[in-house]
Amino acid sequence: MSAPALSSSNTSEVFASDDSARAQFAAAARLSAWRRRLLPLGAAILLLLLWEVSVVFFHIRPFIAPAPTAVAATLYDKFGLLIANLAPTAVEAIAGFLIGNSAAILLATVFVHQRTAEEAFFPIAVMVHTIPVMAYAPILVLLLGNGMEAKVAIAALICFFPTLVNMTRGLRAVSPQQMELMRILSASSSEIFFKLRLKSSLPYLFSALKIAAATSVIGAIVGEWIGATTGIGALIIQATYNFDSALLYATIVVGSLFSATFFGVISWLERYFLKWNVSQTG
Amino acid sequence: MSQIALDRVPPAPALDDGAAVRLREVTVRFTTERGVTTALERVSLSIPRGGFLTLLGPSGCGKSTLLRVVSDLIPATSGEVEVLGTSAAAARAARDIGFVFQDASLLAWRNALENVELPLEVGGGGKRRGARDPRELLALVGLSGWEKAYPHELSGGMRQRVAIARALVNDPKLLLMDEPFGALDEITRDRLNEELLRVWENTGATILFVTHSIYEAAFLGQQVLLMAARPGRVREIVPVPLPNPRRIAMRDTPQFVELAAHLRRVLETC
Ligand SMILES: Nc1ncnc2c1ncn2[C@@H]1O[C@H](COP(=O)(O)OP(=O)(O)OP(=O)(O)O)[C@@H](O)[C@H]1O
Ligand SMILES: [Mg+2]
Repeated sequence: MSAPALSSSNTSEVFASDDSARAQFAAAARLSAWRRRLLPLGAAILLLLLWEVSVVFFHIRPFIAPAPTAVAATLYDKFGLLIANLAPTAVEAIAGFLIGNSAAILLATVFVHQRTAEEAFFPIAVMVHTIPVMAYAPILVLLLGNGMEAKVAIAALICFFPTLVNMTRGLRAVSPQQMELMRILSASSSEIFFKLRLKSSLPYLFSALKIAAATSVIGAIVGEWIGATTGIGALIIQATYNFDSALLYATIVVGSLFSATFFGVISWLERYFLKWNVSQTG
Repeated sequence: MSQIALDRVPPAPALDDGAAVRLREVTVRFTTERGVTTALERVSLSIPRGGFLTLLGPSGCGKSTLLRVVSDLIPATSGEVEVLGTSAAAARAARDIGFVFQDASLLAWRNALENVELPLEVGGGGKRRGARDPRELLALVGLSGWEKAYPHELSGGMRQRVAIARALVNDPKLLLMDEPFGALDEITRDRLNEELLRVWENTGATILFVTHSIYEAAFLGQQVLLMAARPGRVREIVPVPLPNPRRIAMRDTPQFVELAAHLRRVLETC
């Protein structure tokens, strides 16, 4: 700071006004941050209220649509049941996520080193990807049985393709000059892979992982619809057949909360590992 | 050529009084689907050890290609390439060549210090003797205190300084620079020009510097190599009659103005 040179009363005034300006700015920033958080919350409460009032006012029967308070009560009363059914779904989704993404990352690594492999297998991957999950899910249940394996496989398959595409693109996203730099330094191909390609692919990988966090849960639930006695998917089917709409909605709330948490964890990891990435930090 | 040797006593061993870089009739052709491009046509030149040669020429005249041939990134189609008394490949493998690109090409996930350390981590670069201290190099390019800063936190000029420090970490005998300051504003460029000359005097390295700026070419170089395009060839080698060490103010001297005018006249016919 060059302040010591001008130690008149004048400077203290300058600093004072500077301080108050900064305080004003901080207050405005805080206000807008609160606005950003409170407005959607207020809107959500308003919608829930509207929903509650409509159910009461139009005499909507509970098995058609439950009031939010009924859903909340079910969440509370059947908490143990809901969590017991969340557990297998969570395990299937996370296992599928890990297996599907690992396979995609490995295959992308092979593709980047072996153009021929990419030319041979990428079209097959595209073809498999165009089959809707509802179509291949029964096939996998038939193949792997009614246990967790089929659900894990469905969750893995659903994660696989977006990660494969993004990871292949990410591993290739090095600038020609960075490659030339590595050549001048006589870097080996494993050094080029670990010190250059893998690092520059991370932003691509994480955007795929965030998609996969949500879709792996969908995969597990779809698998449970086809044949399962426990899990969020099974509970959804049971609640529907029993006309227990409050339980149905409560199950969906629990499933969504799990999805959102999974997504949040991946986002947090992304922020942690990609501190250097301007588009994330700035 | 001889006046350069007088200006700076080259630190090379007496045995090897050869040039740092010698090209004889070097031709480079690229074959693409659009046909054959002759990027360099029978280019011959020689840079004395410890020399500073600037390369000036219209876009597409093969300046980058010339640097790539010297650094063994691409082979010459024909002709002879001799770098530091041996082949380009051997000089590169011995880590005697440093390269600075137009965009600093820093690795975004490494801070300034880690970027400078990269050459020590790959290709067995750390086991070589004579590696320089990365922190000292950052200080040499005026970046002490910025070791922990990531590339996105640095200005364009600072990134380029990091790139220069990185190119110097293996203490190369030959520094190749491809329009390193092309994207910078004029004031930053002037400052970095003066700093580069200081680094040059400090390290005794031979520098081959590509630029589009007539003033930069004349201010930095002991000689200016003018190239013509289509096909890329040597047009003229102009010695720079300015005393060393150079000062920015020298650009106002009649000598400098005359030199710049001459370079421009030749360039217009390239
Ligand atoms: N890898 C390549 N494949 C095909 N043609 C190339 C390749 N590299 C360069 N060329 C061609 O060779 C010629 C010289 O290119 P070069 O990049 O050396 O020019 P330059 O003088 O560096 O130009 P600039 O000032 O624009 O950087 C150009 O016509 C260019 O199209
Ligand atoms: Mg170029």
